[in-house]
Amino acid sequence: MSSLVAFAECIEQSKIGTAIAESRYWWPIFEGTHLLSLSISFGLIFVTDLRLLGLWLRRVPVTDVLHQLRPYVLGGFALTFLSGGLVFWSEAATVVVSPLWTVKILLILLGGLNALYFEFVIAKRPEVVDNRTPLPSSVRYAGLASMTIWTVVIICGRLLAYLPR
Amino acid sequence: MTIVDVLTAIQNTGFARAITKSDHLVIAALQIIHVFAFLLLLSSLVLMCLRLLGLVLQRQSIPQVILGPMRLFWFGLSLAVISGALMFVTGTKHYYYNRAFDAKMLLLLTAVVVQLVLFHRVAANESPRPALARVIVAFSLVFWFGVAIAGRAIGFV
Repeated sequence: MSSLVAFAECIEQSKIGTAIAESRYWWPIFEGTHLLSLSISFGLIFVTDLRLLGLWLRRVPVTDVLHQLRPYVLGGFALTFLSGGLVFWSEAATVVVSPLWTVKILLILLGGLNALYFEFVIAKRPEVVDNRTPLPSSVRYAGLASMTIWTVVIICGRLLAYLPR
Repeated sequence: MTIVDVLTAIQNTGFARAITKSDHLVIAALQIIHVFAFLLLLSSLVLMCLRLLGLVLQRQSIPQVILGPMRLFWFGLSLAVISGALMFVTGTKHYYYNRAFDAKMLLLLTAVVVQLVLFHRVAANESPRPALARVIVAFSLVFWFGVAIAGRAIGFV
């Protein structure tokens, strides 16, 4: 843990880290992009989860929704991660010591694993591929898990803004 | 009675004072709800726009795809307006004298008009003219994301 803090201090105090933190424009731009890009990454995952829960577009196969939204979901996440990384660069030492940050990162990993498990295991089951009704309950559980995980990630992220700096 | 008197009166009501004096967590919770609600609005807008542009779910008709997200959109807006109003009453003058707040309110009004007058019309159509759909999608995205950007800027100006 102490080496992580040392590393975080090192990147926060790097030239780029201080430049972002001290800039009048870059920090708000990166932070704003991080927040707004969630409407694409988190947003499209959220509507996919609504489909998994059977609350929307029930007649459209789950695999169709996944497949068609995929490029936008991935593009959205690229933007969220990139801008989030730049914000992190400028305040690494401040945030890594907070348990909120640890919870946020662990949940992002868990959310990623949940998506991969869904994509490579659940979505390959014949009942899902053929869009049989009712879909196996694991589909609904995966949607509920995803919705919950990403919502808590956003709450943790918002609360990080209240840390004294 | 000037507008500043009205704002002061609102800020001094027992209700507004109760929120202001409550735990920090109440204000933090309002902010989280506000951000989350607006994200729901933007998310459903992004999805509706992708469909109107013919980029996703083309085999389903526009009205069929848009029904669910449209409900989520208005739900998000209602929640954002309620949580926003609760934050506003705690610091009416702080917000009134903030230029980003003025911009946000103007953009919000325009965005709601664009949504009700133009977006709904094109979204109710089975096959709107592609050029018209593109223009309306562009307007809608610019104004709603504009509201979000101006909202984020309130904390910076």
